[in-house]
Amino acid sequence: MSRISLTVHPSDNVSTLLDFQTDERTTRDGLLLRESIPFGHKVARQEIAEGQAVIKYGVAIGKATKTIQSGEHVHVHNCC
Amino acid sequence: MSTIAAKPLSTAMRDGLSFMGFLRQGGLVGVRNHLAVISTVALCNRIAELAAQRYEAGNGESVLQIKGEFQRGLQLADAQLQNQVIRQLIEHPNIGAALVLCHDRRSAQALQKLFSGKPVEVLAVMDGEGVENTVDLASLALKRLSQQILGQVRVPCPFSKLTFALECGGSDASSAVCSNPAVGQFVDVAIAHGARVIVSETAEFIGGEEVIRAQSISPEIAQSIINCIAITEARMAGDGDHYRGVNPTAENIEAGLTTLIEKTMGAVCKIGNSNFEGCLSFGQSPTGPGLYFMDTPFFSPCSITGMVAAGAQITLFSMGVFNPSGNPLAPTLKICGNPQTVKNWSDGIDVNLSSLITGEMSLDEGGNQVLQAVVDTANGLVTKTEKWGEGQFIIPRSLPVF
Repeated sequence: MSRISLTVHPSDNVSTLLDFQTDERTTRDGLLLRESIPFGHKVARQEIAEGQAVIKYGVAIGKATKTIQSGEHVHVHNCC
Repeated sequence: MSTIAAKPLSTAMRDGLSFMGFLRQGGLVGVRNHLAVISTVALCNRIAELAAQRYEAGNGESVLQIKGEFQRGLQLADAQLQNQVIRQLIEHPNIGAALVLCHDRRSAQALQKLFSGKPVEVLAVMDGEGVENTVDLASLALKRLSQQILGQVRVPCPFSKLTFALECGGSDASSAVCSNPAVGQFVDVAIAHGARVIVSETAEFIGGEEVIRAQSISPEIAQSIINCIAITEARMAGDGDHYRGVNPTAENIEAGLTTLIEKTMGAVCKIGNSNFEGCLSFGQSPTGPGLYFMDTPFFSPCSITGMVAAGAQITLFSMGVFNPSGNPLAPTLKICGNPQTVKNWSDGIDVNLSSLITGEMSLDEGGNQVLQAVVDTANGLVTKTEKWGEGQFIIPRSLPVF
């Protein structure tokens, strides 16, 4: 089973993972995950260059502190 | 900040949204036609309860009870707010007729003068001649009042007659990405149809200042909301609770929340893409259609009381884990996207959005379900909190009580 993720707003560049199948590497909408991402955590839907806004709810919730590849986990290690 | 318009919900739902409501004086509309007993002060609560029970036993109809707390001993702004909210609740369009119980004759006479258009009787408990006699007088008054609303029927009303209170409680990862955004979708549609929407709980907006700047109709309105947030934050800091510095907490970070604004948006996304038209004080009514911020404490029964006093006829209550609260006067829709909560608490939940998590439902469909439930409720469908008789009224106080 591919993973369930939810993109809240059409302009978001991250989705939130909403299941516990952390061994799976694809989401139902076809995004390839580069790593294991826990429930409630975010994945980049596209490349986010260093310094670019991380957008969720259609709002800049933070900035990428390094370039984030599509499918990478987005959290405090690469966003603040 | 993007300003993408709300996606259209199903065409049939959007065209000519209307409902069947009770027309009141001054063009107000009720979604309920309650016979209410309102006790203005705790001293009268038991008499009110006994009168309601006596009336219900004799007539087989239920009476909505609104109970008082302090009255004397309150100072200045607290005393004014107490009186204002009680008056607003009596005038609320979901009440068809009201019996108001005061302790003394002077308060009763002052209140009686205020209501001309609506069936309202005000009794002073001190004017009774014994407990038995006073309960009798009160239940007879309820009987007279009930006859005055007997023939009232629902008539077609436009959606623009509705004011909604937004609330969230028991928040978790599911409410941040399921029920709150679905409520946001509904809010955009409701506002497009001329409704008023109020969101409150000032503390929940700490960290959301940029969103408020981006989603207000003027810089002045944004600033007035941001000032309320700053005052609340300073008061919280007075207790040694430095909200901004410690958020998101280690627990939040473990749950996947990266920044304070992300945490705040989990609640604030209830407002959808709409813009704030004004900043209201506790209980203050909106002056026109659109989205309004109300400066209230974050405790749900208290913040909902402020929005209902301001005229909200329906409350939308988004949850993650279960929170029993609601409002007795403004039917409260409990909306939940957490599959475990839905499974355990189906007898307390009105809108089940758990298939958003399983991917079987889109957010648009979620918004549609909320809208359908709102229309059904406005037409008279009994909500779960109404079924259980759940709900409280709490008026905040900021000064010592004597």
